[in-house]
Amino acid sequence: MRFGEPVLELVRGMWITFKSIFERPVTVQYPEEKRPVRPRFRGRHVLHRYENGLEKCIGCSLCSAACPSDAIFVEAAENTDEARYSPGERYASTYEINMLRCIYCGFCEDACPTEAITLGDNYELTFTDRRDAIYDKDMLIEPLPAGSDELTPQKVKPGVHTRAVPEMKNPDD
Amino acid sequence: MTLIEKYPQEVKQILARYPQDQKRSAVMPLLYLAQRENGFVHRRDMKDIGAMLDITETDVASLVGFYSLYHDEPAGRLRIQVCTDLSCALRGADDFLAALCESLGVEPGGTTPDGLVTVEPVMCLAACDKAPLFQVQTGAGLEYHERMTIEKTLEWIESRKEAAS
Amino acid sequence: MTDRVTLTIDGKQVTVPAGMLVVDAAKKVAVHIPIFCYHPKLGSAAMCRQCLVEVGRPIIDHATGHPELEDGFPRIQFSAKLETACTTLVSEGMVVLTQSERARKGQKEVLEFLLTSHPLDCPICDKGGECPLQNLTMAHGPGKSRFLFDEKHHAEKQVPLGELIFLDRERCIQCGRCVRFQENVAGEPVIGFYQRGRSMDIVSFSEPGFDSVFSGNTTDICPVGALTTADFRFGARPWELMAAASICSQCAVGCNTTLNTRREARSDGQIVVKRVMPRQNEQVNELWICDKGRFAGYHYTERDDRLLKPQVRRDDKFRSVSWDAAFLQAAEKLQDAEKPVFLVSGRLSNEDLFNLLQLADGLGAETLLYTNMGGGDLTGMVGLTSGSNLADLGLGDVILVVASDLQEEAPLWWLRIKQAAERGAMLIVVNPRETKLEKHADYVVRYAYGDEIKTIQDMNKATHKIHKVFAKAANAVIFYGSEGLGLEGSSGLAGACTSLLVDTGHYARPNNGLVGVWQRANDQGAWELGFRPVKDLQVIFDKSEVVYIVGADPVGDGAVRLKKRKPFMIVQELLSTDTVGHADLVLPARAFTEREGTYTSGERRVQRFYQAVPPRGESRPDYEIVAEIAARLDTALEREPGLVMDQLAEHIPAFGGISYLKVSEVVEQWPVINRSELFYGGAVYENTQGLGMQLRPAPVTSFPVSKGKGGLRPKEGLLLAVPVNKLYDQGLTVLSAPLLRERIGELKVCMNPDEADRLGFENGARLRIGLNGNNAKALLVVDPTVPSGILLVPRSMGLPIFEAGMPVLSKVRKKVTG
Repeated sequence: MRFGEPVLELVRGMWITFKSIFERPVTVQYPEEKRPVRPRFRGRHVLHRYENGLEKCIGCSLCSAACPSDAIFVEAAENTDEARYSPGERYASTYEINMLRCIYCGFCEDACPTEAITLGDNYELTFTDRRDAIYDKDMLIEPLPAGSDELTPQKVKPGVHTRAVPEMKNPDD
Repeated sequence: MTLIEKYPQEVKQILARYPQDQKRSAVMPLLYLAQRENGFVHRRDMKDIGAMLDITETDVASLVGFYSLYHDEPAGRLRIQVCTDLSCALRGADDFLAALCESLGVEPGGTTPDGLVTVEPVMCLAACDKAPLFQVQTGAGLEYHERMTIEKTLEWIESRKEAAS
Repeated sequence: MTDRVTLTIDGKQVTVPAGMLVVDAAKKVAVHIPIFCYHPKLGSAAMCRQCLVEVGRPIIDHATGHPELEDGFPRIQFSAKLETACTTLVSEGMVVLTQSERARKGQKEVLEFLLTSHPLDCPICDKGGECPLQNLTMAHGPGKSRFLFDEKHHAEKQVPLGELIFLDRERCIQCGRCVRFQENVAGEPVIGFYQRGRSMDIVSFSEPGFDSVFSGNTTDICPVGALTTADFRFGARPWELMAAASICSQCAVGCNTTLNTRREARSDGQIVVKRVMPRQNEQVNELWICDKGRFAGYHYTERDDRLLKPQVRRDDKFRSVSWDAAFLQAAEKLQDAEKPVFLVSGRLSNEDLFNLLQLADGLGAETLLYTNMGGGDLTGMVGLTSGSNLADLGLGDVILVVASDLQEEAPLWWLRIKQAAERGAMLIVVNPRETKLEKHADYVVRYAYGDEIKTIQDMNKATHKIHKVFAKAANAVIFYGSEGLGLEGSSGLAGACTSLLVDTGHYARPNNGLVGVWQRANDQGAWELGFRPVKDLQVIFDKSEVVYIVGADPVGDGAVRLKKRKPFMIVQELLSTDTVGHADLVLPARAFTEREGTYTSGERRVQRFYQAVPPRGESRPDYEIVAEIAARLDTALEREPGLVMDQLAEHIPAFGGISYLKVSEVVEQWPVINRSELFYGGAVYENTQGLGMQLRPAPVTSFPVSKGKGGLRPKEGLLLAVPVNKLYDQGLTVLSAPLLRERIGELKVCMNPDEADRLGFENGARLRIGLNGNNAKALLVVDPTVPSGILLVPRSMGLPIFEAGMPVLSKVRKKVTG
């Protein structure tokens, strides 16, 4: 073994360290700084609203049926024009997702006939209690869109929001 | 006022025409009777007829609904009934109805402000080959006006107006 | 012509009776031809055209009269067009192809047509998940429609046809099943079609809307979500529901039901019953249940005032105690009393009653049945026996109904008797006033209130026409009720009916006998076990030391007035009734939805119900409570319902041979219905949990001679109040159903118009009625079908009335306000 070999190795190692000083750091200062997610990232669910503030969710429970881990619980009730949550006759009076059970597969998104539920960007899901892992509708639903100031339930004109599922389009168009 | 109070003689005559165990057959002439005065059958009269013939009011009402010549609502003196079923529509009946309504300034089913004409779409009038057509009841009876155009129809309405005045 | 024909359906050979429809024959070999408008109970209408199939028939050689052969096989000629399987009758050698390219194309195109006007709102539709249209679209439908999407038929959504049934007109495919059901099965055409073609609607002009006691069944057979029930509206999706087999506890018919349950947030996370569905039993309720069973079937078990803990009265206040303490106190009190009294009702199951009987035997206690209607000893002797089925009655048989308005008291019996009459059975209705069954009767015998027994006794004279009819009949069944009658009167009536049956030889064989139209689900069972009513309950309460009341509310019903000295009352109940309010020891029992057991129906059929939901509070099943008390008296009783039944079968001769295994047996029933396909029979549940088993014929040779007199008779110039039974009354079991409130209404008494004129009351007058020291306000309904001199007072509507009596009427003065 030559005498200079360990020194050479040391210098080579130090060279890499030295080089790194000029590279951009990969570390993100979480939680002050958050890393952007990919376009198709599947994070925590969001329940959406229409532009007028009505909920898109109609309480059909298809997400719950599609869910492979039985994480979603939906209970429906009837809308009236006096107290309207969503278009049509039916809305979700209870909507709960157990985030500990959810496997973020996105089947609920696929099953939803009104595009009410999507898997969002939020990946910050930590709990200190198993009960806290159950997200209810108030936690899942998105805030009111700009320009709308009416939370649900809304009092609406009779005969306007009669249909739950958006009007079917001709698939050939 | 019940039907039998209004037309005691006629009701008796009509009922006498049918055997006791077939008395529900009297429903058609009784409905005509009920319609005679106002041109439509009042809900109250349907109930009356049902009670007279031992059938439910719903049974009576569904007859009124089925036949295009019984009516359950008041309308203009001339009830122009246009068939818009598939085969008539293929011969342009629905366009005819739309155009007729537009030129008279009414919605389908609506009545002109002078109370003369009501235009309403109805189901099959059994004359598909002669569409567009309408049926209308006048003093002379039931008339079919076949192979109609808007012009011909408006002309006919004018002639009725003149006849009326 | 032979009466059986052999045909081939999709390569499967099947031999069926001649005259059968192809669609039914296919069902026999598990070929499911798609249908919407056809229903095995409703017959053909050929309105939907969905069942198109290819049909071929052998070519007959005219010279020989035999089929032409080709290579040894008959030559088959297929018809040029597709035929509807629901109208085509089977014929010898017929070949049916349901899956050929032509047939499939036809089915697919019909479906495409149906969907041109059907909204795609399956996500919010209550039928979604158990919808024939959905299923058939998946199986046969086109993936894509060629029709214009923006020209769909739109109509106003959710039109209430009444307060019970909702109609969605867009979803209706105009198959007419509901209209035909009301017309042909229920015999009440209160819904009908309105207008034609695309504008055709279902309408109801009755008052109240859709005024039929069978209305809920239309929602089961509706092949789309057009008709839905108001109570299940958006309640849950069908696939989320659990199902438990049960027996309806509302009357003595014993309809087989399925309770659909779900865990619910709005019920604080409890598992609750969401709806009652019929379960097929062709010997009892076929595919139907009445609206009382459907809409009031379970609500009383979920009331807020359910008793949840054993309670004991100390210093005039209830204190909760442990079960152990409660058992011990009950045991001590029962043992110390000289002759304790057990007062039980027909709400209890056979198992509860048997354990009670055993405990009473050990204590030397008196056992009493709480009921207004007698004659159960006789229905035990000459009642229907094993092998009976009302569906077997037809031409040559006779059915007599006396002193009962069956449609109000037992709708399903009404339905089955009506059907028997339509099959040709002679129906004799004997009633003092007009009832709905009379329309279907061959003979109507009208008697005056009070003449019930005499009327039947007169019929039993050899020269009487009806006696002759009975003597000639192959089978005869008598249904007797308690209209206008109390305990004594109805016992006497049962006796007279028994004599008629015995003298003409109609007993102790299948399809012959006497049926009591009882008010409770297991009255028959209680009689069979030996519980007997007593005429004057007040005397019992006045002199007894300890009364053990199970499932009865004598105080609330006004049958007993508690005095200062009252017995020590042990009350075993579900709800806080008035009797519970006066109890000294309260034992909370479980409802029938929370436990297992069996009921014996009026037709003497023992049927089993299962646990559907977890128990509330600390409640325990009745048989177990009794066994626990017995254990503290050193009597060992069974605590498993199945084992109790084994004991019961051993001790009571009529129950011989009955076990849980036996009552859970199922044989294939026709029509074959199946929840996995839904379009043939509707959303009705198939029966996999048992058809029940009828009791044996009683080995009796002599019968007690009927004595007893009928009720009071109306006297000239005096008004007589007579009790009648209503389907929807203010009993806690019905009143707890919010949906039926409107139908129950207030206390309405009926009177003849002449009588009303004489007394100076007009229709709709508010009256104050006094009867036997009780008072109530009532609305007067003037009704020409009421005999003169009679005031009809419905039972369980606020005015206690057990038998006919003299009322005191006065007008309620309107309060002057302002």
